Amino acid sequence: MKMGLQLTRIRLMILNMSAEATVVEKEIKVEKKPAEPFLSKRRKNIVIDPLSDDNPITIQVLGICSALAVTVKLEPTLVMSIAVVFVIVFANLIISLMRNLIPSRIRIIVQLAVVATLVTLVSEFLKAYSYDMYKVLGAYVGLIITNCIVMGRLEAFAMANKPYDSILDGLGSGFGYAWIILTVAFFRELLGSGSIFDFKIFEALGWTTFPTNGLMVDSIGAFVVLGILIWIQRSKSGYVEH
Amino acid sequence: MQRSNIYILVFSAIMTVFIGGAMSLTSVLLKPAQDKQVELDTKKKILGAVMDISTFKTPEEILDLYKGRVKSVVVDIKGKIISIDAKGNPLIAEKVNAQKNHKIARDERLYPIYMILNEFDSNIVEAYVFPMFGLGLWDWISGYVALESDLNTVKGVAFDHKGETPGLGARITEEKVRNRYKENKKIFDSAGNLESITMVKGEGIKGLSVHEVDGLSGATITAKGVNKMLKEYLGCYQSFIKNKKDENGIAIN
Amino acid sequence: MEIFNIVLRGIFIDNMIFAYYLGMCSFLAVSKKVETAFGLGLAVVFVLTLTVPVNWLLQEYVLKEGALTWIDGSFESIDLTFLQFIMFIAVIASMVQLVEMIIEKLSPALYGSLGIFLPLIAVNCAILGSSLFMVQKDYNIIEATSYGFGSGFGFFLAIIALAAIREKLKYSKVPPGLKGLGITMLITGLMGLAFKSFIGVAL
Repeated sequence: MKMGLQLTRIRLMILNMSAEATVVEKEIKVEKKPAEPFLSKRRKNIVIDPLSDDNPITIQVLGICSALAVTVKLEPTLVMSIAVVFVIVFANLIISLMRNLIPSRIRIIVQLAVVATLVTLVSEFLKAYSYDMYKVLGAYVGLIITNCIVMGRLEAFAMANKPYDSILDGLGSGFGYAWIILTVAFFRELLGSGSIFDFKIFEALGWTTFPTNGLMVDSIGAFVVLGILIWIQRSKSGYVEH
Repeated sequence: MQRSNIYILVFSAIMTVFIGGAMSLTSVLLKPAQDKQVELDTKKKILGAVMDISTFKTPEEILDLYKGRVKSVVVDIKGKIISIDAKGNPLIAEKVNAQKNHKIARDERLYPIYMILNEFDSNIVEAYVFPMFGLGLWDWISGYVALESDLNTVKGVAFDHKGETPGLGARITEEKVRNRYKENKKIFDSAGNLESITMVKGEGIKGLSVHEVDGLSGATITAKGVNKMLKEYLGCYQSFIKNKKDENGIAIN
Repeated sequence: MEIFNIVLRGIFIDNMIFAYYLGMCSFLAVSKKVETAFGLGLAVVFVLTLTVPVNWLLQEYVLKEGALTWIDGSFESIDLTFLQFIMFIAVIASMVQLVEMIIEKLSPALYGSLGIFLPLIAVNCAILGSSLFMVQKDYNIIEATSYGFGSGFGFFLAIIALAAIREKLKYSKVPPGLKGLGITMLITGLMGLAFKSFIGVAL
């Protein structure tokens, strides 16, 4: 009996909430008079800015942990990038859809819960379909949860913007993150293991005595490569930190 | 947006149900595929110690091969076969967790052994594969050491590791390094005492004995870990090996 | 002895920053002054020493396969590992909140210096990372606690050292593009190189 009563109450609540949501959406629709083109200039900028001028890693200094940890080889880096793009896009979408329902007092924990769920999905899928990668990435998949980029985008963008824009923002930030860590991984694998995607490039070119650099496979190599990359990127974009 | 406490509570409750439901559902749906991956991973490593399995493309082929050619038993430190665990459930060698096993005292551990049978006559054991576990530089290392039917000559090895340095300690998984164990290396000396096999310090060393293999430059601690693991576990399997030799009538030398 | 080993390894060899790159965000953001770095470092040691054992209990008695047998023998085959991430992060977030409230009540002075860093810690990868590594390493509870303390202390040392260098760095001529994050990354690399010398120490 009691259970049934509670269920009806929850159902009522859901009804209430969805009613509220449609009201809010209607309000927004009224505000937005001229229909924005599918890929307007503003929207393009949402995607393009994080790629260079507002890059999450080199300019905003977010998400460094995982940027360095998995970049010894290109292959795990690629898997990690895909995982991060997936998590960031869907977390942005979900939070943006719910943005008018989330009570502000518990918004951080709601965001964490959504991200943690998505990360769990990624981790379970990897375990089921790419066990070798699952073993290589190990605990680092779980650490996407605390990747500041994801939380940062949710808090700064998805909580205040519409779903479609939020997806674009997620794609932009995700790819901005991906190209930096792929570049770091490229140099680390090339110099540290003498290969690209496990293909021994120098041996194939006939240089069998290529001296691999032990520091590159170590954490130190990651710091140095990323430091230099930041230098180049900032010199180009003219961004100076004070 | 300020909301009432009841709203927050109900919201959290609904979130919990949704999220919990989504996660349980994926977990339940993906469990069979995951278990299969874990099983395949173990079986690949066992077979990998004795033969080249890179020609097998599909997981099914490997599982079939394993089913047809491998017989497994679990023994205790005295070499006695145990078939049920402490709770009375049947023991399956492939399910023994090497890491947990390693943590308990040597004479209480379970020791799985995999016997590779002849392709045509399943009464002939071609090789014995002994799983082992130890510590490298950073984290755990594990291995499968295969002995020929004389239970003395090494047929092959396969190593795995959690976090050895790529390009240095992690080279223990490379074929080149693993092949060094295949060059007619023996684990017993001529008097029949267990000598195990030692990876020497330094690389490119000539004139190695039958109990030594060339080392890994820059990865001395990993090599030491491998040596310690081999010595410890071959010592633990010694009773089984001795019993088997007596049974098969192989002279100890 | 084993405990001592784990603490030392956590501080010098398996250093959260230099070996695993965890907690880099706050490491870079809060290392401009020694004073604030000290506060954050202390908070990390504090929270890690608490959360790792709590998460250990959670893993051991709720999450891992067969962990629920203490309730009833028939729960043997239940495996809740898929809830690991969300449970750990929930424990960390609520522990941080709890610690914040307790400190505020007991010692307003300590709260004044530590308080503002506590919310930052909930999303510090070093905290979640330690718990996940603790599971992989299969420790018992005493080992887990010392591991938590050791890795926290390693982070503490690293962030103070970096802050001290950055205070000096303010007076150096650095190319404009390299200012801030760039030069800090390079310095972290050099510091990591120094920490690498501890590998040879046989434990």
